Amino acid sequence: MAILKTEHLTYSYSTGTPFEVTAIEDINIEIEPGELVAVIGHTGSGKSTLIQHFNGLLKPQSGKVYVDGQDIWESKKTLRASRFAVGLCFQYPEYQLFEETVYKDIAFGPKNMKLSEEEIDRRVRDAARYIGVTDDMLEKSPFDLSGGEKRRVAIAGVMAMEPKILILDEPTAGLDPRGRDTILGLIRNYREETGRTVMIVSHSMDDVAEIASKVLVINNARVAMYGTVPEIYARSEELVSMGLDIPQVTKVFLGLKENGIPVRTDVYTVEQARAQLRELREKGVLAW
Amino acid sequence: MVKDITIGQYFPGQSVIHRMDPRMKLVLTLFFIIFIFVCHNFWSLGLMVLALGVTVALSRISIRTILRGIKPVVIIILFTAILNVLYIRSGDLLFDWRFIHIYSGGVYTAIFMVIRILALIVASSLLTYTTSPTLITDAIERLLSPLKFMRSGVHTIAMMMTIALRFIPTLIEEFDKITSAQKARGADLETGNILERTRALIPVFIPLFITSFRRAYELAYAMECRCYHGYEGRTRMRQMKLEARDYVALLLVVAVLAGIILLNHFFGRLV
Repeated sequence: MAILKTEHLTYSYSTGTPFEVTAIEDINIEIEPGELVAVIGHTGSGKSTLIQHFNGLLKPQSGKVYVDGQDIWESKKTLRASRFAVGLCFQYPEYQLFEETVYKDIAFGPKNMKLSEEEIDRRVRDAARYIGVTDDMLEKSPFDLSGGEKRRVAIAGVMAMEPKILILDEPTAGLDPRGRDTILGLIRNYREETGRTVMIVSHSMDDVAEIASKVLVINNARVAMYGTVPEIYARSEELVSMGLDIPQVTKVFLGLKENGIPVRTDVYTVEQARAQLRELREKGVLAW
Repeated sequence: MVKDITIGQYFPGQSVIHRMDPRMKLVLTLFFIIFIFVCHNFWSLGLMVLALGVTVALSRISIRTILRGIKPVVIIILFTAILNVLYIRSGDLLFDWRFIHIYSGGVYTAIFMVIRILALIVASSLLTYTTSPTLITDAIERLLSPLKFMRSGVHTIAMMMTIALRFIPTLIEEFDKITSAQKARGADLETGNILERTRALIPVFIPLFITSFRRAYELAYAMECRCYHGYEGRTRMRQMKLEARDYVALLLVVAVLAGIILLNHFFGRLV
């Protein structure tokens, strides 16, 4: 059964005024448990609005959201349960830190779940381990940490609720390439170790293609595509027409195709590119 | 929610009222507010409301916007009305049931007070609806310029006001964002008694304060980088000049004042 399902989800801002904007329209998706879904769309495509529906922060103007088969808007109880079942970590989450120590800040979520002291302690330490928050950092003030460390602490704060689905909105925004690789690597490990569902929102496919198992492309408030990474990259031309960035290698292959060389354009890693070129050479299509 | 508050908002436009000199607008708005309290009976109040209505029409601000501005204070208005109806014992007894005694005087006073409060809100919000915050602070600065000899300076105060006004929407947005983030971590801001709810706001206000301080430092650096150093030797891009329409407006307002005083005199006193 799908862990997350939406039916005809629609939401617009400033309804009833001349400034009305439809943020998402008729969204129907089904996410299977254990996937690592990359949600891709350019700025203003509606992806941030969409994810705020998954834990009930926004109430759909029409349509339904099911988490683990349960309609989250059925009652106050199901709504509150959805907050913990779907862990949502906003963009630039380091600005939401407030506690005296890193430990207490990570424990804020589990504490709100009214868990026992031992359980909270276990969860805080587990989450800290997954996202690379060291023991000596736990006792520091979150405001004494570096930007990248703060970001990791904030993500740990959401992970510690042990949500069935972890959603991260642009977790690598504003980080240098090394910080980006570290965070993405840690998220990949988290998913492999726990087997829980993860969603990563990003405007750049290049960032998340390597670790995602499925890709959800949002364009103009609607779902444009949903499929595995190769399936999506096979439609690279469409992605480009939506104004989305594609990996450098894919761009090279699109160029080759335009110039009449019979290549497939579903490549997105250098490894795949090399394999395909080798294959073409063996067939005698290309010679060098 | 927080976003519904329209008091203090600015709606750009090209109407006569929009184009008036902000200094004149500010002074005339003050006049209007004083008039509201000068009116003693329904006749003078009626003239005042008429003048206000004409001003609203000239400003081309939609009635809906005006009504939305009134919405947040409806409770205060109702409260005032109910108190007046219940406690003023003059005129004929209209209604009598156990401890509730309603007199005609109470009803009239209640209506009078409600109109007064509404006029007060509409008049003051009309100023901000039609004048950008920068112009308002500019106007305040000019009007207070005789106080230049004061130590911290009129300009500094006006600049602080401009910055404060500029950052209200930013802070509201920031507040909403942090609230959502903490709600996503299970923070419960809606249930519990006052003490619990106040405590629940700590995770929202600490990040909000920290962000505000960071913003303040950044803004200060940015201003210094552009060689901002206060009032000395600063000239203005926009010079303010009183036009014919400003003098016409002044004349009309003086005429309304004269009318109010006459009507007050001829028709006796209600409050």
